[in-house]
Amino acid sequence: MRRLEARRQMEEANFLSSKARSQNLNPPIDLRMLDYVTAYDDNLMCPICRCPFLDPVVLAECDHCFCRDCIRQTWASTYSPLGPRGDCPSCRTPAKLGPRSATSKILVNITDDLLVRCPKSEDGCKAQVKRGEVQDHVNIYCGYAYMECTADDCELHVLRKDAAEGCLHFGVSCLDCRQSMQKASLETHWRVQCPDRKVSCELCKEAVFNREWDTHSRETCPAISIPCPGKVFGCNSRSKRSQADVHAKSCTFAKLTPMLTAMQQRMDEQEAAQKVMVRKLEVLEGGFQAVQTILSTKQEDPDQVGADESRIPLLTGRPHQRGDSGGMLDAMVVETDVGAFVFPPPSSSSRPSSELVHVRAGASLPPLYSAPMAPGPRPADLPEPFTMDFDMASPFPPPAANGPYISPLHHLLSMHESLRDEMSRMSAALQELDGRQSMQALNENLRTREEISYMAAQVAGLSRQVHWLTSAQLQRQQHGGAGRQAAGAAGPSGSDIAGAGAGVEAAVSTAASALRGAARIVNAGQGMTMRRGLSEEGRTKL
Amino acid sequence: MAGMSSKRLQKELVKIQGTLPPGIALVSAENLREWQMDLSIPDNPIYPPTEKYRLRFLFSPSYPIEAPEVVFLASSNPERKIPIHPHIYTNGIICLDLLDTQGWSPVHNVESISISIQSMLAGNTKAERPPGDAEFVRSNRQRPRDINFLYHDPSV
Ligand SMILES: [Zn+2]
Ligand SMILES: [Zn+2]
Ligand SMILES: [Zn+2]
Ligand SMILES: [Zn+2]
Ligand SMILES: [Zn+2]
Ligand SMILES: [Zn+2]
Ligand SMILES: [Zn+2]
Repeated sequence: MRRLEARRQMEEANFLSSKARSQNLNPPIDLRMLDYVTAYDDNLMCPICRCPFLDPVVLAECDHCFCRDCIRQTWASTYSPLGPRGDCPSCRTPAKLGPRSATSKILVNITDDLLVRCPKSEDGCKAQVKRGEVQDHVNIYCGYAYMECTADDCELHVLRKDAAEGCLHFGVSCLDCRQSMQKASLETHWRVQCPDRKVSCELCKEAVFNREWDTHSRETCPAISIPCPGKVFGCNSRSKRSQADVHAKSCTFAKLTPMLTAMQQRMDEQEAAQKVMVRKLEVLEGGFQAVQTILSTKQEDPDQVGADESRIPLLTGRPHQRGDSGGMLDAMVVETDVGAFVFPPPSSSSRPSSELVHVRAGASLPPLYSAPMAPGPRPADLPEPFTMDFDMASPFPPPAANGPYISPLHHLLSMHESLRDEMSRMSAALQELDGRQSMQALNENLRTREEISYMAAQVAGLSRQVHWLTSAQLQRQQHGGAGRQAAGAAGPSGSDIAGAGAGVEAAVSTAASALRGAARIVNAGQGMTMRRGLSEEGRTKL
Repeated sequence: MAGMSSKRLQKELVKIQGTLPPGIALVSAENLREWQMDLSIPDNPIYPPTEKYRLRFLFSPSYPIEAPEVVFLASSNPERKIPIHPHIYTNGIICLDLLDTQGWSPVHNVESISISIQSMLAGNTKAERPPGDAEFVRSNRQRPRDINFLYHDPSV
């Protein structure tokens, strides 16, 4: 009986130690990475990792459920020493993980009973196990997990399924590619690495080299079904590559394909060419329309001719009024002389050319000139200055001396209006700029003021210290001074210290007042920007 | 962590390749770092129904604990514009609270983000850019999630 017990204990110890060793060889499985055999209920899914719950916890505050690791990671950034806490990812209720957050055993059991594929399934293990047992499967049973070589003198690892074959850690070379390796890794080599190993194609039963497998499956395998070459033109039939020729011979689409492709190509080319033509046509049409509008406005309203034609009425209108010899020279005079006269008398018919000042039409006005431009009742007997103003400021043609005055006035008004618009836009821009600047100044001032007050406090402290030191020193001096004054030696030294103390105090108070002055200046600077903003605003209001 | 990120994205991809709400389409998901989606907006005169808008999702290895970076992309072929919206800058950066570090929750996913952005556009009534758009586009060098938007507007 005791022997049986001892034997059982020994077996258990062996089992546990082999399990422990195996755990070292096979790192713990990340259960979130498992593939599930069947679809699982969405209600079992953690909204964070979208896997069936792993060690689920319930937030007591809102009843939402998450994996423990998921919620910990979510709250990692809001770490608190009182344990994990944060907002519920689903409903944003502030919550925390408490000792009783674990969910009922039922949910744990349901999720742990879901079937998963062995994580070594890519290596060949076909096992499907319950999720709760997958770690044990890998550690104890899985033939594709590693364990220590059974040979006593060998420290290397083998797959569990090969363990019975004894030590496989001796050199072999692959028969196909001549690469040398250990026997234990030969199988993996054949399955995934060896370029010269042949695998058989499941479709055509042909043996294909590993290195040619990609091209075979994609291009050359005769058993893979490919679409008819006429697919784009409507034939939906597919046939095995080996029989593609047979179909192509009978298929109208396939026969027509080369022609159709050529036609398609030509059509595309022509479409592109047509697009270019359309654009050209648009440009031409636009130009034509512009020409037409110029022509039609000229016919309809001779007063509204464009800038280039303005010379024509000038040349024809002026010589009559002035009685000068007309021609090109006179046109020059009309164009340039306006700057020289503020109010030329209407009767002045001829001027000496020395009075000509070369101010081009449309150039900036001399300030004197802005006065007569103001709209308002205009004396009827002064038509000339208006025509002159007008001529200078715009390409508009001046009306004849006895022409309708309503049009230049309107023009002036509109010009005035546009200037006003411009001004208001500029004032808005200025205001914005000002706001930004004063904000900046305010921020800067705030900081400076803080610094200053901090320094002032320090200075005050310093001054207090100095005061205290000085008075302490003085007191000591006076105590001992009485005796020493009789000796007549220490008198001046006491007053020296007192004087020095007073000097330091004075210096400190000067510094304090300087600081206060700086603060005032900072405040004044702020006030100044505000005032500037106001004045600018006032100025921009026309 | 990286494992969880890729596993979850794989699961999302499987679901997205199955069904998606109308007006949302997966364009590319060649790897598990960057996906592109196309959005179209029904029933809003600001956005023509034929027009599509391209979203780019960039996932970090700590997705879904960390929010993905989601921006609109402009391209010429096929033609994709940056939709006009008071919370979308001309460089495609979207100011949406669920995309920044504060508003993000790991229960969101690519589909729910796409739906949120689609409905944000569908409910828009102002054909305008955010205030300070030009300045922001010129000066911003930050990653979208690090930007502290001042214009968060809970009504949108
Ligand atoms: Zn989870
Ligand atoms: Zn909750
Ligand atoms: Zn296995
Ligand atoms: Zn061995
Ligand atoms: Zn080989
Ligand atoms: Zn084949
Ligand atoms: Zn065919």
